[in-house]
Amino acid sequence: MESKPGLWMFPSSCPHLHRTPSCRRLIIRPTAPSASLYVASLIAARINAFSPTAERPFVLGLPTGSSPLLIYKYLVAFHREGKLSFKHVITFNMDEYIGIPRDHPQSYHTFMYTHLFSHIDILPENAHLLDPSAADLEAEAERYEAAIAAAGGIRLFLAGVGADGHIAFNEPGSSLSSRTRVKTLANDTIVDNARFFDGDVDSVPKTALTVGVGTIMDAKEVVVIATGSNKARAVRDGIEGSIGHLCTISALQMHRNAIVVVDEEATAELRVKTVKYFKQIEEAAEKMPGDHHRLGKGLEAKL
Amino acid sequence: MTAPPNDRFIKFANCRLAIANQLVPCDIYFSSITGRIVDHQRFFFEQRPQTAIVHDLGGRIVAPGFIECQINGGYGFDFSLPTDKPNDYRDGVAKLNKELIKTGVTSYLPTVTSQGADVYPKTLPHLAAPGTRNPADGSESLGAHCEGPFINSEKNGIHKKEVLQLISSGVLDLESCYRAENLQPPVVKMVTLAPELDKTASVIQELVSRGIVVSIGHSNASYEQMCLAVRHGATMVTHLFNATTTPHHRSPGIFGVLGAQDDLVRPCYGIIADDIHVHPSFIKVAYQAHPEGAILVSDAMCMLGLPDGKYYWTNGDYIVKKGGKLTLQDTPTIAGSSVTLLECLNNFIKWTDASIASALRTVTETPAKMLGLYGVKGSLRPGADADFVVLSERKDVEGNVSLVVDEVWKFGVKVVGSGSIAKL
Repeated sequence: MESKPGLWMFPSSCPHLHRTPSCRRLIIRPTAPSASLYVASLIAARINAFSPTAERPFVLGLPTGSSPLLIYKYLVAFHREGKLSFKHVITFNMDEYIGIPRDHPQSYHTFMYTHLFSHIDILPENAHLLDPSAADLEAEAERYEAAIAAAGGIRLFLAGVGADGHIAFNEPGSSLSSRTRVKTLANDTIVDNARFFDGDVDSVPKTALTVGVGTIMDAKEVVVIATGSNKARAVRDGIEGSIGHLCTISALQMHRNAIVVVDEEATAELRVKTVKYFKQIEEAAEKMPGDHHRLGKGLEAKL
Repeated sequence: MTAPPNDRFIKFANCRLAIANQLVPCDIYFSSITGRIVDHQRFFFEQRPQTAIVHDLGGRIVAPGFIECQINGGYGFDFSLPTDKPNDYRDGVAKLNKELIKTGVTSYLPTVTSQGADVYPKTLPHLAAPGTRNPADGSESLGAHCEGPFINSEKNGIHKKEVLQLISSGVLDLESCYRAENLQPPVVKMVTLAPELDKTASVIQELVSRGIVVSIGHSNASYEQMCLAVRHGATMVTHLFNATTTPHHRSPGIFGVLGAQDDLVRPCYGIIADDIHVHPSFIKVAYQAHPEGAILVSDAMCMLGLPDGKYYWTNGDYIVKKGGKLTLQDTPTIAGSSVTLLECLNNFIKWTDASIASALRTVTETPAKMLGLYGVKGSLRPGADADFVVLSERKDVEGNVSLVVDEVWKFGVKVVGSGSIAKL
């Protein structure tokens, strides 16, 4: 759970991050597309700065859902433009439903294939998802943790956040030191997801395999995307609230290297003071040389 | 030429797939051995070895092969004209198949117009869906389309009135005309009839139960008669506007069914977008009323691909071809077309506000669904036949976009375009 700074160096292209990592909690962009572009550019910059090879791959944790959709679009665009390769990137997805086949239209396998994997040069053996068809789900969860460890741990975990502040399928009440396991979905999540299953609550899977909060906390860096007003409470509870298992994203307050990227709408429940503070930090950071988010702005202009 | 042993997977890369109403930048994988589109998602997650041969299409469009539902012949061959020797007829069909596929039409319904009962046994058996999957055979019949003779003599078009028949003994009349053994797939796939001849709609019901699509055409049906036919299973209209009830605002006839109220499932409709048969504004009106039902058809005659002149047709009549226009000799009556489906498609793109992907549906997804073959034909989804057209876009001086067929693939093998593997 403890990240090991000694083993991991910040990319040299982002010197200010090295100096002020603990302050960079919240990045505010005017709109969902600009917030998504910021995150995609950040991921691209991290991968490229790492110069991954077959022997030394970049290990990336990935979410599904509506929040990361645009991020994946931008990553695909970077790949098409020849600016980003996934040849030496290993991915681990956060979660997968239990009880629907992998090729179900709403499975996270299908989501990842449709929105990212089929468009990039990732090697199939490097794209890891939890296998809900495994006979022994507990063993599958253990295998997954072992596979992450064998890959050298996750270097960057991208995450979304639920309206109730959950990260992956770690619903309110999950242990903040949890590991990969079977999880029963909260009723809110089931009702919310019924829109993807023809509005039929009964056909929404009730359980899922998911990485734990502890699994995410082990990543060297965590980047959370939250856009839209329906995420405003989760952003408030996660950033201004106390750490607690009713808002599992709040665990990231204990992470040495986590940032939350939001659009203006998602800041609606934050105190003005909080918003101003993080905007000031960013303005100060912008004046420093070599800031990675300039890359974001440059790309934004081109797209 | 035999395929090399590793010629199992082929991947179209750097292309835009015509899916639903969009051109989606996406790769597609298919097998030249099974001739079908591969479920690459499954292969990806099962991590099966996959050494695909990559075809970089340079951003071009990939659509399912075109499906033509109404074509009377072409390149000098007429489906309604039996030859003295059955072999000559078979050879004629085979030759046409190899020409037709060059226009992007990878499967079609060879259409036999109203003929005397002696013609059907000599033609229909040779027009059946082949049941074989040989790319080198060219375009593939999906079964014959019998356009008449159970049609309204007031809406005969150029069909000879003398051969038209009434329905008095139900489906038995059709069986004695087409022959009972032919009146089912794979031989006959579609029958055009006038519902006013089938008052109780019992023939429609019987044909549908046999897996035959009933198309309403050459008919003066009222709106009510049309709705009755649709309720009993008719799912198609043969060349809407041409040889169908003239629409009147108080009695809309066949055309009115596109605006049908309540629970009626509106039928598909064939429409000839050759700039002669139907005014562009009516094509646009029909499409806007019911875009999911629009199916472009060429209604091409045997003069397709031939120079101007006078040509023998059937039943002792002659057709005069002048440019793209065909007329029955010594009359102003339009006698089918001599355009390709691609030309119709390009007209359609010009006249309507349909996007390229939406327009492509009218010659792929919609006809496949109408024929009950969607998923096998007219689709880019895994499991569907790997029949493709590779298209480029051209812009004319006025900025109109038109499509050009660069390559045609049949059952996963390139048959038209540079470096084609199969010899047609």
